[in-house]
Amino acid sequence: MNDRERDASIDLILSRGLVKPKSAAAVTREMLRGLGLRFIFWDTAYSIIFAVLTLAPIAAVLLITPTERHFTVAFALSPALFLLITAFAETAERAGALYELKRTCRYTVRQITALRIACYSLAGVVYCAAVTAVSANSGAELVRLLTLCLGSLFVCAAASLAVMRNLRRRWVNAVFAAAWLFANTALPARYGAEWETLLSGVPYAVSAAAAAAGIAALILQLKSMLTEALPYADA
Amino acid sequence: MLTLNNVTKNYGKFTALDGISLEFTGGVYALLSPNGAGKTTLIKMLTTLIFPTSGEILWNGDEIVKLDARYRGVIGYLPQDFGYYRSHSPREFLRYIAAVKCVPRDAARRKIDELIEVVGLSDVRDKKMRKFSGGMIQRVGIAQAMLNDPQILILDEPTAGLDPKERVRFRNLISSLSKDRIVILSTHIVSDIETIASRVIMFRDHKLMTNDTPAAICDSLAGKVYETDNLAAITAPYLALTERQDGGRTITRFACESDCSAVAAAAAPNLEDVFLYVYRDAV
Ligand SMILES: Nc1ncnc2c1ncn2[C@@H]1O[C@H](COP(=O)(O)OP(=O)(O)OP(=O)(O)O)[C@@H](O)[C@H]1O
Ligand SMILES: [Mg+2]
Repeated sequence: MNDRERDASIDLILSRGLVKPKSAAAVTREMLRGLGLRFIFWDTAYSIIFAVLTLAPIAAVLLITPTERHFTVAFALSPALFLLITAFAETAERAGALYELKRTCRYTVRQITALRIACYSLAGVVYCAAVTAVSANSGAELVRLLTLCLGSLFVCAAASLAVMRNLRRRWVNAVFAAAWLFANTALPARYGAEWETLLSGVPYAVSAAAAAAGIAALILQLKSMLTEALPYADA
Repeated sequence: MLTLNNVTKNYGKFTALDGISLEFTGGVYALLSPNGAGKTTLIKMLTTLIFPTSGEILWNGDEIVKLDARYRGVIGYLPQDFGYYRSHSPREFLRYIAAVKCVPRDAARRKIDELIEVVGLSDVRDKKMRKFSGGMIQRVGIAQAMLNDPQILILDEPTAGLDPKERVRFRNLISSLSKDRIVILSTHIVSDIETIASRVIMFRDHKLMTNDTPAAICDSLAGKVYETDNLAAITAPYLALTERQDGGRTITRFACESDCSAVAAAAAPNLEDVFLYVYRDAV
């Protein structure tokens, strides 16, 4: 095989796409450089403002929660910021007039959404820490409550992402958020003190393991959102 | 080359397109059909927004859905309902779309200035789009579709809602953009494409009926189109096409299978005649 032929066959292989797919980290770097945070979060400002405005009265419940229910409330509210933002922002994205056009562009809606979700999760952690700080009555409780909150946040985030990716319907994120809120009102309403006892009795090893599993599931999903080749470009 | 092999699209039990086979090599392809014929359905399949129920769509021999980003990198698309950001200027909006299309920043900057010039929006490039007319928005739409210098430019009813002056401007624009690429545009307005289309594609009953040059399509009616101001004199069965006023008389253009040259003036068929003739019983 001479050089010419070798180049031609390399070109052929490249054109067939048999090149090693880019890693999620490489894609992220490239997108941060090309799009920047401004374009990644383009057109999401209103959704985020609405999410925060909606969160305010919900989070205020924390301040008036009686001590004997604080695990229940902290557990319910720790994923609230994440769920509200995704519910507002991703629903608005799918309903937006430009959604169709965006789905025909080279960077997929899925890739851009993955980066946004990663940021929302980080914001969720900060919010969780705040929830814990407000709710904990003692230093000993702090760690237990924090791991429980983080477990709640990440399991919820991973689950909501899985539901979003598999159903691909316009309202999934909003329905998921509503379902979480409903479950966390219904369970305490039905079981009251037992639910609080159950939550406060969860050892930190267990909630930390749940948080770790949630983080792992979330990262795996975000990685595949960034790199996978699917026939469609939806999130 | 973009190829459709026996592509069928069903929505549930309803067949929107049935066994379509087409080849696009270069030039302007006009999808000309009445409402509901399946133009948007075809275009959405070509842009990977929906998938054929059966059959395949190939770009240079590879299935477009398998090519994924590599295929989306070569298309430019203007949707039928083009959404835009009211509170942004065309320049900002184009910067955003260029970034999502993965056009490198410096190249994008140059391309944006160039395209804004081409579509004639230089004066308003930093004005908010809120105050733009329909024609101006549509020109922003074309510019965004052209950002990645697409090999396939797909426009779904780009002239809907434009005034005659904008239509002419638009025709010239398409014509100038069609060098070295495939342009696929849908419309149900004959005059939009009569002069610029290299091929006209027509569907009927959700099947491909015609795929030919405008001249050849007009030829299919040669010798069958006449004009008269006295329709009552025509005894053979005919199909009235269009009417116009001429010095107080009403001239009717009609198509007739038999020779009417004794009672009416023969006329050269145009694309509009063919359209009206072909879709005569379509409601
Ligand atoms: N998502 C859908 N579900 C069911 N039927 C659909 C769907 N989309 C389109 N159709 C039907 O398929 C047919 C073709 O629709 P399409 O939008 O492709 O037509 P069109 O040629 O673009 O029409 P127009 O000129 O009005 O834009 C129509 O009868 C329409 O009702
Ligand atoms: Mg249409």
